[in-house]
Amino acid sequence: MAWNVETIVSLAAYLGGGLAMGLGAIGAAIGEGYTAAQANAAVSRNPKISADIFKNMLVGQAVAESASIFALVIAILLLFLDVPVPTLLKASALLGAGLCMGLGAIGSGLGSGYPGGQACFGIARQPAVTSQLTTNMLIGSAVCQTPAIFAMVVSLMLMFLNFGNAPLYPTWAAYLGAGLSMGLAAIGSGYGGGLAAGASCEGIARQPKTATNVTTIMLVGQAVSQTPAIFGLLVSFILMFKSYPESTALSASMALLGAGICMGFGGIGPGIGNGMAAEGAVRWVARNVENAGDLMRIMLVGQAVSQSTAIYAMVVSLVLIFVV
Amino acid sequence: MGELGKLHQLIIPLFGHNITINLEVIVMTWIVFVLIIVLGVSTSRKKAILPGPLQAVGELIVSLLYDLTEDALGKEYVEKYAPLVCALFMFLLVSNWLGMIPHLEEPTKDLNTTLGLGIMGFVIAHYAGIKSKGFKAYAKEYFQPIFFMMPLNLIGELAKIVSISFRLFGNIMGGSIIILVISHLIYSIILPPFLYAFFGLFVGTIQAFVFTMLTVVYISVQVK
Repeated sequence: MAWNVETIVSLAAYLGGGLAMGLGAIGAAIGEGYTAAQANAAVSRNPKISADIFKNMLVGQAVAESASIFALVIAILLLFLDVPVPTLLKASALLGAGLCMGLGAIGSGLGSGYPGGQACFGIARQPAVTSQLTTNMLIGSAVCQTPAIFAMVVSLMLMFLNFGNAPLYPTWAAYLGAGLSMGLAAIGSGYGGGLAAGASCEGIARQPKTATNVTTIMLVGQAVSQTPAIFGLLVSFILMFKSYPESTALSASMALLGAGICMGFGGIGPGIGNGMAAEGAVRWVARNVENAGDLMRIMLVGQAVSQSTAIYAMVVSLVLIFVV
Repeated sequence: MGELGKLHQLIIPLFGHNITINLEVIVMTWIVFVLIIVLGVSTSRKKAILPGPLQAVGELIVSLLYDLTEDALGKEYVEKYAPLVCALFMFLLVSNWLGMIPHLEEPTKDLNTTLGLGIMGFVIAHYAGIKSKGFKAYAKEYFQPIFFMMPLNLIGELAKIVSISFRLFGNIMGGSIIILVISHLIYSIILPPFLYAFFGLFVGTIQAFVFTMLTVVYISVQVK
């Protein structure tokens, strides 16, 4: 077997495509299963409106599926991509693209199952607000997809942007690191956003009068939960677009790869934690709407504290990129 | 596919530095200004007790945003900050929707626009905080819980600018890249209108709302 550049590029593309779809299939399937489980509970609670619940379950699952569909698009693109000038650098970028999309789809898929499930259960509890619940579910799960959309953007950039004549060492590590940074950081934020959206569907079913407040706080909470994913996006942009002096020393490459891994793993926990804070705030605003202002402020301060670990990770990544 | 990542730039050399101006963004921003002014004038030109259709739309937008500001900031700050909230939301909404018109692009697709708005919100929030609490109480918050947390608190505040501006930029630019790539791959058959409806109308509206809400919330955290 000859190990020429073409072979390595197609190897990277196939491996990337496999990873993108394989990893991307994890989250959405679990999320959809949760929706279906809640729909079953809802039907047994209120069998008269099983048709409405069934419809809502299918809509919710269709939205939860979108993260996997992004992964499918990227996987197919990687399998049939025609690389005009195969270089080793392109191979590393394609592998990074696959990893980025695959990992990035896990959290959003997992998270967007929650609003679907809670909306089904809420319809059983409060059939009068069915349309309101479906709308809220759609908004909540669409916002959950943001981390997956970021991951898709980074993948598409890695695949299609022409980065010119960057030196192979250490740029290969930067592209791989860019994919890992965005992909891993998207996991926590996607899941956390889902927690907040689920709580809002539950809250609206309990107390339909509070719908406006609950939806607003859900959006703010989800937006803040996405901050770790945004840090991941920032680090991958810097890794992709900074130009590096050529250096065959292993340490230069490893610093860039390490920067991506650091930001990626560092973003998982804060994303989930922020989502939990938002979930709590949304849940209790629905029960106690008079104190919505205080609850929102406490949520934001708590999220800021829980985010500080993501900020440490970002600081370390930036030091690895610019100083080391 | 060559359009991906291409920009029309005007580069002015000045004292050994290059000043780069993204021409398209400036033109698009001016188009947004004109659209908002036209909307504002046409909704408030014929004021009547029984509102016409345009006046009703204007009143709906303004009263919704005033209520929102009151919920977040309390009664005493509504008059002061609600006009800012209305202006910010309308600018972002029209900007995010502009990309649906052929040959026009969203100004918010450029990081300079969103970063500028993010810095504006940051400065307003901190000015409001200093004004309402006094500089001493404001500065003291950075040394909570212990004095050596100061640098991290400072980075945390600055990270808010990064997160608020990259959230809008990433969503809008991401949407337009996805639309561009998918339209190219399927030769623009059937799908693009749905993609524009999702990324332009839906995501654009939600992100405009989120950006406005977060700016208000940052102000409210500072003043209370």
